[in-house]
Amino acid sequence: MERQKVISKLTHLGKDITEDIMLHQSPGIRMPQRGIGNIHFNEKKNLLELGDKRSTRSFLNVAHSRKFMQTILIASKCKEFVSRDKTASIRELYYQLKHTIADTKENTFDDQSESDPLIVDLEMALGVLREELHLKADDKGTLIGKITIEDSEDFIDCSKLGRSGLSIPSIVEHYKFHDVEADYILVIETGAMFDRLVEEKYHLKNNCIMVSAKGQAARGCRRLVHRLNHELKLPVIAFTDGDPWGYYIYSVMKAGSMALAHESKRLGTPKMKLVGMTMTDIDTYGLDKVTEKLKDIDKKRINELLQYPWFQNKEWKKELDLMSKKGVRIEQQALASKSLEFVAEEYLPEKIAKKQMLP
Amino acid sequence: MVNMELNREKHADELFKEFRETSITEFFRKNRAHLGYSGKLRSLTTVVHEIVTNALDACEEAGILPDIQIKINALNSEHYKVFGADNGPGIPLKHISDVFGKMLAGTKFHRNVQLRGQQGIGVAGVTLFSQTTTGKPIKVKTSTGKGKVHEVELMIDITKNKADILSKKEYSQYWRGTELDVELKGVKFNLSERGPSEYLRRTAIVNPHAQIIFIDPEGRKTVFERSSEKIPKPPVSMKAHPKGLEVDDLINMSKVSKGRKVSSFLVTTFSRMSNAKVKEIQEHVNFDLNKNPRRLTWAECEEIINAIEKVKFLAPPTEGLEAIGEEQIKNAVLNILDPEFEAVLTRPPKVHSGGIPFLIEVAIAYGGHAGRSIGDGSKYEIMRFGNKAPLLFDTGGCAITKAVNSVEWKRYGMRDFENSPVTILVNLASTHIPYTSAGKQSIAEEKEVLKEIRFALMEVGRKFQVYHSRKRRALEREARKQILLKYSTALASGLAKLTNKNEEAILKELQNLVEERITGLEIEEAEEEELEPTLEGESEDNSETHGEMEEKPEGEEEVE
Repeated sequence: MERQKVISKLTHLGKDITEDIMLHQSPGIRMPQRGIGNIHFNEKKNLLELGDKRSTRSFLNVAHSRKFMQTILIASKCKEFVSRDKTASIRELYYQLKHTIADTKENTFDDQSESDPLIVDLEMALGVLREELHLKADDKGTLIGKITIEDSEDFIDCSKLGRSGLSIPSIVEHYKFHDVEADYILVIETGAMFDRLVEEKYHLKNNCIMVSAKGQAARGCRRLVHRLNHELKLPVIAFTDGDPWGYYIYSVMKAGSMALAHESKRLGTPKMKLVGMTMTDIDTYGLDKVTEKLKDIDKKRINELLQYPWFQNKEWKKELDLMSKKGVRIEQQALASKSLEFVAEEYLPEKIAKKQMLP
Repeated sequence: MVNMELNREKHADELFKEFRETSITEFFRKNRAHLGYSGKLRSLTTVVHEIVTNALDACEEAGILPDIQIKINALNSEHYKVFGADNGPGIPLKHISDVFGKMLAGTKFHRNVQLRGQQGIGVAGVTLFSQTTTGKPIKVKTSTGKGKVHEVELMIDITKNKADILSKKEYSQYWRGTELDVELKGVKFNLSERGPSEYLRRTAIVNPHAQIIFIDPEGRKTVFERSSEKIPKPPVSMKAHPKGLEVDDLINMSKVSKGRKVSSFLVTTFSRMSNAKVKEIQEHVNFDLNKNPRRLTWAECEEIINAIEKVKFLAPPTEGLEAIGEEQIKNAVLNILDPEFEAVLTRPPKVHSGGIPFLIEVAIAYGGHAGRSIGDGSKYEIMRFGNKAPLLFDTGGCAITKAVNSVEWKRYGMRDFENSPVTILVNLASTHIPYTSAGKQSIAEEKEVLKEIRFALMEVGRKFQVYHSRKRRALEREARKQILLKYSTALASGLAKLTNKNEEAILKELQNLVEERITGLEIEEAEEEELEPTLEGESEDNSETHGEMEEKPEGEEEVE
């Protein structure tokens, strides 16, 4: 979206509210409802989607007044960023707006956790993206492999960045892809496993691009994987710990999250598959000695996953039921019990070749 | 009626003969507690009570608006001087001895009227108490306002039960009223809830037509201003109602009857007793009601009393009951407690113990000087009255206390009743107050009395609830307004930046809008209240009314 259009949308929001005030009508901001009641799983597309329900944030409702005021402050600051063609981190935005409200001891924002969700609200109210508002989150995630990325007229060959790889920024919209030589993308949950595979030159030996999410994948990472999948038609394979948390990280990358349901179609990669760790791996590779017992909180999480519609297929049900039955979880790095090279030389190549993957 | 009373007084004299053989001091000593002279503080309060009651009753009968002054001086440890003055009708010289120097003269004990003086033994008791503790006479100065003033010093000759005048002075002066100087030993003054100051404060509340000035031993002067010019009607003495009669009452009355037959004695002596009722009684007794009433035996009287139990009578007439009146109490409460809220209620007369008429008056006062202040906080206060006389002692066992504590004040918006700045006033008016004991400081738990007090309290409680919820909503509205105004400045500045419009202009309109909306809510609430006064909180809880409560459901927020 052009900058001018974003500015005009922001100005419009302000004008509508100012008009309400001048006409002595209740000032309100209409936005899609973000609650669970307005989020559906689209089974055809395999994506979490936001429904049509909308709600109004009303200044005169004292439960909303503060958030309303904060949303407008964010909008005005974003207008300034876009106009000046500056991009600020969401933390910088928070510090730019934090001040004491006149004649009170109260701050406009107490904590960044107050401003972050309102950015999402503003995105949804205006139908613009955070990037278009010139806001970025911290960089998180790493990429390595045979691909050249064009970033602001610089060309980055991601196979020539040593063992570090490319640090994935929060905004990847401007990336252009060149010289791609890869058969697939491997998304790895933990940084440690990523490092292992880099040392084993897995990406070179197996002709793939490796991405490390480093825990729950950030928006930039998810968007990049989405683009690589959609634009370059590269299949995406996930490799996470064998526990409910790893599976949830996978599901967010695949189907989207509830908090950002409105962005699922830009962030999700529905065709993604999971290579491991699985419960069947424990038997197949004789790993029962290196499992860990499930804690109560893990068990609770398994039951939650079983409720999610995007886990409603027989493979996943079987896997989660097996986890409950065994009462154990298994980490990616448990494969090191075989040998350091095992994961790169046997486990992954074999499973991927045999297409032993979960949907 | 007049005859009847004379007879009754004779009867009291006869009673008196019985204990004249022993000494009157003996009688006093034995009955001190009954007469209100037990304890150092209580004795002093009783003395004040007798003086004030005497003044109030005299003024009432003479149709005078009372101005009363009480001054207490400390002479020594447990040694005080009490000075009382009123602007009452004064006492003619020949009656001074009877009023101040004769025990049980003109007693109110057996008159079926409602008088304050149901407690104590009258002002002669003060004389006796003074002389037994100090050996000194009391000093009386009085004049009926016709130009002659009398000053008399007197004691009671305890063997003759008659005044012993020690000195007498007469001089010309145009002045009307009575002044009394008494010295007391073995008494103690303090500012507690049972002391003279609280007694006078409460007396002032139920006697709004009186002005009472009190000067305490420290020289502090408290003036309880008159808040009403209406002098209460003196109580009417009336025939006794058959229900509630005791055998000895009946036999004593029959002895002095002028009637020739028991039947006519009954019809003329008792209220609601017709020939038809006498016929009904005849059916239940085994002797002829045509016999001479003066010849009735105890057993026969007992038969009559039992028969009366079985016969239905109309409730007694209520003209003997004198309510203080809602308007009067309200004025006094406003005057003395200066509360933020008050509600007063006089309930219609009812009967207790099978036929004794009574009525309940209650008031609730909240905020201002209501309640008792303790340190920084407040505590609730119950003001109990029996026929307008403050009941300060024996709080725990009293039906009034029990009734007040049995009400669920929480339901009426008083979350912490005991620590609220609230005064609950309850007056029981009755021709016969069912006291728990001869001390007459505590009302027995008669079922009907307890029920009436509760009903009355619940009714004023509901009024408090309406007030309280209105106040609460006003506070909420104000809080709401403050929140909106607080965020208005920041909002206006944000909007000005977004739109490049004038920040001041936006802010001004925003503030106008907030004011307008809050006022709108106030009107809405007032309208809703008219429709449904007891459904408090409805308007706020029902978000649909204002259409502004569409709170976004909490989704999980993703922090990146």
